[in-house]
Amino acid sequence: MRLPKVRMTNDGVSTGPPVPDPPSRIERVLDRVGTLVSWVWLLLIAVIVLAVVLRFVFGIGRIELEELQWHLYAIGFLAGIVGCAVHDRHVRVDVLRERMSPRLRDWVDLYGILLFQIPLVVLVLVSAVPIVIESFATGEESSSAGGLPYRWILKAVLPIAFIGVGAASVTRLREVGTRLFGAEAAKSRSVRE
Amino acid sequence: MSVREWLAVAMFASFILGILTGFPVAWILGGIAILFTAIAVIVERDFGFYTGVDWSYASLVGDRIWDLMDNWVLVALPMFVCMGLLLDRAGIAADLMRDVSRLFGRMRGGLAVTVALIGVVLAASTGIIGASVVLLALLGLPPMLEARYAPTYAAGTVCAVGTLGILIPPSIMLVLMADRLAMSVGDLFLGAVIPGLLLAALYILFLIALPAFRPEIAPAPEEAEPVDLSLILSVFRDIVPAAALILAVLGSIFFGIATPTEASGVGAFGALLLAAWRKRLGRSVLQDVLRETSLTTGYLFGIFVGASAFALVLRGLGGDELIARGLMGLPFGPSGVVLSILFVTFLLGFFLDWIEITFIVLPLVAPVVVELGFDLVWFTVLFAVCLQTSFLTPPVGFALFYVKGVAPPEIDVRTLYIGILPFVGLQLIGLALIFMWPELATWLPAQAYGTP
Repeated sequence: MRLPKVRMTNDGVSTGPPVPDPPSRIERVLDRVGTLVSWVWLLLIAVIVLAVVLRFVFGIGRIELEELQWHLYAIGFLAGIVGCAVHDRHVRVDVLRERMSPRLRDWVDLYGILLFQIPLVVLVLVSAVPIVIESFATGEESSSAGGLPYRWILKAVLPIAFIGVGAASVTRLREVGTRLFGAEAAKSRSVRE
Repeated sequence: MSVREWLAVAMFASFILGILTGFPVAWILGGIAILFTAIAVIVERDFGFYTGVDWSYASLVGDRIWDLMDNWVLVALPMFVCMGLLLDRAGIAADLMRDVSRLFGRMRGGLAVTVALIGVVLAASTGIIGASVVLLALLGLPPMLEARYAPTYAAGTVCAVGTLGILIPPSIMLVLMADRLAMSVGDLFLGAVIPGLLLAALYILFLIALPAFRPEIAPAPEEAEPVDLSLILSVFRDIVPAAALILAVLGSIFFGIATPTEASGVGAFGALLLAAWRKRLGRSVLQDVLRETSLTTGYLFGIFVGASAFALVLRGLGGDELIARGLMGLPFGPSGVVLSILFVTFLLGFFLDWIEITFIVLPLVAPVVVELGFDLVWFTVLFAVCLQTSFLTPPVGFALFYVKGVAPPEIDVRTLYIGILPFVGLQLIGLALIFMWPELATWLPAQAYGTP
């Protein structure tokens, strides 16, 4: 597993990594959106506290607040999946990778993205888009009384997130490709020959 | 075995080989699912063997991911992550280390006991091994080495105590286990309390006993300051707010007052207030915590998404019946089956993280154990302790890697391996105790709900 990055802060030790600016423009956009979306967690805390106060203090149970909670959570975790793709934070088993040359790592990433990551993105898109279309066409709403309407909006977040993952993987592919086949790589190869 | 079952076996083997390449586990899981769907389609079309998996079956993955989105129980997961990060940023662990170590200053091995106690408090707040092991190593190792503790003793303590986090509630691993097995999170939390504290107690006894027999392991401190009232007060001031918050979260779940989701959200709110009260919560810290919550939740759920696709196809190939038949066919009797499962889980823990094991393996084996007439809470707690042990065990213990990554150079791999051995022994003792006396796990849940 990947080591959590560690830094010292003024307040002592923190296991959070300093999140560096990602290099490409697409990634910077995705990153900015992700940072903005991360405020849903604060909103989620507020909604839960509100629901708890209403229930325990006033004896009111609001189904829409409960549904809002998992709506926010779903948006948050999908944004997190995109964020991890942008910042290369998805869990890797580093046991052998630690001993690989940077070039071999690039080859692994090249084939991994082409054979595993992009097919998964395609499968998720192919299976999620019809779900959104059907939900929109039937005007699907929550099945519980007082639940939230327009369920297709939430369902659409899944394909949108995976378009983000796809974009991040293409950018990464280009990066790895440049290192493996680009002018620099060709030059260093010719020097060796 | 039929052709499709061979495919299921090959699928699992490919997964293990796949993750060793170091490519992200989430994508390996999903990619292998697609690869084996393609193989299954070809095998059925061109060779005429029934496989049960085709592309329209694989496209059910969209519905599986929707099931994760439409899931009120798992909302607790990011909330517990956020609560843990906030308590971490509130600097509670560092203050505890300073004050509690002064409290135990005169005792041989006092620093190690301090680390163990902080580990238990941290365990209750994070539940992510990586985070708590690293934090404990950074806080605990330098003072222990400075006090000329044996490096093996110091390193072993940090590794072992750090892994308690995935066992002691509120642990995100237990939330996921309960969700996957459709059992009550409260029951499982309650079931894990006594086993978790039992292991912590075994650790602390060992940490006190060892220097008593071999004083050179932890020299007595030369100039310890006397324990006075102001020191005790400052320890209380450090520990009480965080402990009260954690106990309130757990208590409200245990007494059935609040659901785990409500408790987690209110707990995160409490941690927010605590961090603000300690003046550690600026805008940038808050933004940082929220972002880190997203990324931690992101890598967990990335694996959930990949594992959903993997589990879907594995099941389509008859993997679940294969496992059930294989386990039922073992010639060891019911207890032997449970022990075999635990042993294999222990081995899998060398290669796989708890996330994949909980998502893929646990739902395959749990129904078999229930069918054999065992208590599900008891089994799940055993499963959890077993996973925790495997993270400590060479050759591939995740906790060891984490500590190695941040430890000073005098802690080499050999030191870690020697240091961890006695703790693995203690883990096995704990596992045996829970196995022989299931009441250790089942008594507390029964008390809370009054069910016999």
